[in-house]
Amino acid sequence: MTAILVKAIADLRRRRVQAVVIFVTVLLSIGTGTMAVTLMSQTRDPYQTAFQAQKGAHLQVTFNPKTDPKLLAATPAAIGASAFGGPYLATGLEFKYGDRKYYQNTFGRDTPGGAVEVLKIAGGRWPRANDEIVLTRSFAELNNVPLGAHLRVTSVPQTPMLTVVGEVIDIDEGSADLSSQHAWVLPAAIPALTTPDSRFYAMDYRFPGDPTSSQLAGYVDRLRASLPPGSISGSVNYLLIRSIFNITNQILTGVLSAFSVFALVATIAIVAVLVTGIVISAYREIGIMKALGFTPAGVTGVFTLQIVIPALAACLLGIPAGTLVSQPLLANSSHALGLPYTPSFSISLDLLILVAGLLVVVVAASLPALRAGLLKPITAITNATAPRGGSGRRVRRQAARLGLPRPVILGIGDAFARPLRAVLTVVTVLIGVATVVVAIGLPRSFLLINNSETGAGRYQVLVSRSDAYPDSEVMRILNAKEETARVVAVGGQNVVIPGISDPVNTRLLRGDSAQLGYMVIAGRWFTAPGEVLAPKGLLQEAHLKIGDQVTGSVNGEPLQLRVVGEVYDISNLGRSLFMDLATMAAVRPVIDPFTYYVTLKQGTDVNAYVGRVAAAQPDLIDVHASDTSIIAPVKIIDSVLLVLAAVLALIGVGGVFNTLLLNTRERVHDTATLKAVGMSPRQVIVMVAAAAGLLALVGGLLAMPLGLILHHMLNDVISSSAGNDTPPGAYAVFNPLELGVIPLLAVAVAMLAALVPGRWAARTNVVEVLHSE
Amino acid sequence: MDRRAIGNGHLWGIGMSELVRLTEITKVYQGGVTGALNGVSLTVEEGEFTAVMGPSGSGKTTLLNLVAGLDRPTSGSVTVAGSDLGPLGETALARFRRDHIGFVFQFFHLLPNLTVLENVLIPAQLKSRVSSEAAGRELLAQLGIAELADRYPAKLSGGQQQRVSIARALINRPTLLLADEPTGALDTRSGDEVMELLRQLHRQGKTVLLVTHDAKLATRYAARVVSVMDGRIVDDARLETADREASDVIKVRGEETR
Repeated sequence: MTAILVKAIADLRRRRVQAVVIFVTVLLSIGTGTMAVTLMSQTRDPYQTAFQAQKGAHLQVTFNPKTDPKLLAATPAAIGASAFGGPYLATGLEFKYGDRKYYQNTFGRDTPGGAVEVLKIAGGRWPRANDEIVLTRSFAELNNVPLGAHLRVTSVPQTPMLTVVGEVIDIDEGSADLSSQHAWVLPAAIPALTTPDSRFYAMDYRFPGDPTSSQLAGYVDRLRASLPPGSISGSVNYLLIRSIFNITNQILTGVLSAFSVFALVATIAIVAVLVTGIVISAYREIGIMKALGFTPAGVTGVFTLQIVIPALAACLLGIPAGTLVSQPLLANSSHALGLPYTPSFSISLDLLILVAGLLVVVVAASLPALRAGLLKPITAITNATAPRGGSGRRVRRQAARLGLPRPVILGIGDAFARPLRAVLTVVTVLIGVATVVVAIGLPRSFLLINNSETGAGRYQVLVSRSDAYPDSEVMRILNAKEETARVVAVGGQNVVIPGISDPVNTRLLRGDSAQLGYMVIAGRWFTAPGEVLAPKGLLQEAHLKIGDQVTGSVNGEPLQLRVVGEVYDISNLGRSLFMDLATMAAVRPVIDPFTYYVTLKQGTDVNAYVGRVAAAQPDLIDVHASDTSIIAPVKIIDSVLLVLAAVLALIGVGGVFNTLLLNTRERVHDTATLKAVGMSPRQVIVMVAAAAGLLALVGGLLAMPLGLILHHMLNDVISSSAGNDTPPGAYAVFNPLELGVIPLLAVAVAMLAALVPGRWAARTNVVEVLHSE
Repeated sequence: MDRRAIGNGHLWGIGMSELVRLTEITKVYQGGVTGALNGVSLTVEEGEFTAVMGPSGSGKTTLLNLVAGLDRPTSGSVTVAGSDLGPLGETALARFRRDHIGFVFQFFHLLPNLTVLENVLIPAQLKSRVSSEAAGRELLAQLGIAELADRYPAKLSGGQQQRVSIARALINRPTLLLADEPTGALDTRSGDEVMELLRQLHRQGKTVLLVTHDAKLATRYAARVVSVMDGRIVDDARLETADREASDVIKVRGEETR
């Protein structure tokens, strides 16, 4: 064993460049894989831990204000809940802070503790007086509302002031950038903050074990059956909250896992090419080793160890690095949960990754190394060099027909002289370029979807009104402004849909809503009351398709609906409905819109318009320019994609570089001969670069359809995880010119990578090489 | 002295232009420990068939490499076909070799992935894109290996490979043909055939500079034999008689060949 190790280390010292290639390649792929595995293993646990610790509610239900609280108090026993909280009297609270106005469901609670939904105080304290309020830390951080801030309530005529005295972590809500937030006051404070239209009741339920989605649906059905019709106005279960909480990490984990596999495949290809090349270059040496007494296994071991040693070093660095890089994402999750951040990793998992990574490298290296082991000693000593590769004649002929310069023709012929090596190199290029395609395409798809969700380019101003301010007045103010081109008013109401346990949130639209830019995936936008659109998630869950009629209910009253289209919408992970406000004309109490999307005439100064409208009613309406910025989770995913593309592109470049290095070393004799007969150094570089260019061109061209397919697939996976089908526009984010330029860029990068081996070849000392025999 | 014209119709010493001039050439390798050439000066006239003879390590191959522009002297100057090679960069030297030098190696150094014809055409194709296939085929025919045009070097005998090597050396009509131990890797018969070829080329007007350790070979074919020993020229004999035998007086310091 000592002899094997000594020989392997000596060879490693001699082949430093190749050792670096292996080190960097394995480092990048192991690091990426570790990040994926760490995220996968650690994202579930913190939420579960926090959920159990804070006795999260499996089910949160809101009830019609007319429901008898005594009946509500009896519901836990009726449905088999193991613990409950409430009934809480609650209200929809509108308040103003700074120049912004907000709406939050606000609950009356005596204490943050209890049997269910323990609120973890992250700062400050619980209210002690009726003019004190507690917010979620997520909301406070997002909107820069500090402890001690004074909020002016605008949803009641008295416009009382509330002081923020505490921030809590509520395990039963998603983060503020993705979900609406709750607030809490003392129970006695609620009446003063309530209007008849805004109050409601709420209860939290816990059940034995971890109930499944169908079990939770059953509980809601039993709850509904135990109360008068129309009592339940809304409900949400912990599975949805958990999904919303985890969605970013889930998507990231999926993307990272997929591309880790690619990185691993590329690494395997590079290792195989490298070992094959080393074996070829060391033919005579193998013969001598065998003559000296190395066994076949020993010879195989020598060549395998030369790869495993730098790979091991790379793993020892890459695994901690990957774990480290995943920490900010995990810290973000912990922060959102109110958990103290502790570095999250699993030693046993890291060891598993180490073993698995090394195993892959060993297998990739030992298979070609076996060739060396099985070589007959006399063959190796006598021949001194490995059998030459193919002539590449066909390729050269084709190139000659194109009238290319001779050095280019020779280089192109060399590129595929060893077909297996060429194929493996093309694979590494293919993976790199395909990843780049995805990294360009996915963010564009996200932007398209983001623009649809935020109405970018469709409307410029968002107006919200307090319940205390009539809809007609808002419309009067807006229509009075000559810069107003269009106003679409939006209201909301929960509707019970058969087959769906939780009432579904609806977007009730008034005005030319088809212009808002929601992406219709199938069917059409509604044109009359009663026609609805829904995302795929809802359609699937309710077993509905376009054209189906369904009878929903609102406040216990039936509502006839007809599905006319499928729309893209990620709110509540695809559980929402879009319809004309007039569909709810018969519903009582009357439903008025509370949000207004304003489209301005071209050339209008948005900020000036916002100022003028706000000045018309400074307290009871909130006016601001619409925010079309990309949400934080998408930014994170975009950044990770960029890093992945860089990693895999680097691996691709490494693959080409590695192959060129091997080729130029193998052909040093030919290069010397060519120089002797008159090939200039520049022509030598051109020859080497031509080989690189061809490999990159083939890999790049093959990568384009693969990249587009991956882009398509990832769009589908991500959209599906948000309860939607992918809108067709999200696929078509490339223009034809780009699809042609990307492979050409790959060629340019590969030819740049060829400069180093090319210059080395150009500096070949003819005398030394040709006369060394 | 027999001033019979040889080869290109010029009389010795009359109307011959100087093709190669080495002036006080010194070449030192390995940091000054080993001197391959030491103050060598030599001229070769156009149309000459000159053999540089000496034992292994004498510096003869180094001398040839310097003339070809494959190596640079440590000191001294090399002028070939009117060009001082000293100031030329690598690209210029490559062009110089394409234009003026045909090199025949001991071990042929054919490119194994190219056919015979492709090997022959390479220097021409490096020089110009104009097709020289016809010229290549003609050369192969002249050298008696036309039928081998589409074969690969691995399928040829040593003698055949050396003929291909000669054809490659001639494709650009070089000013000077350099041959480094051209028969060293061949059997006797093949070697004789190759040398006859070189003699024919010389008679057709080519200037030939041959390096060999074989005194018999040198005296038999060359009109002039330059003897090199330990990096110095120890003898420079012009053989002016038509019949040359090994017993003719060629004295190499410490050696006689008879």
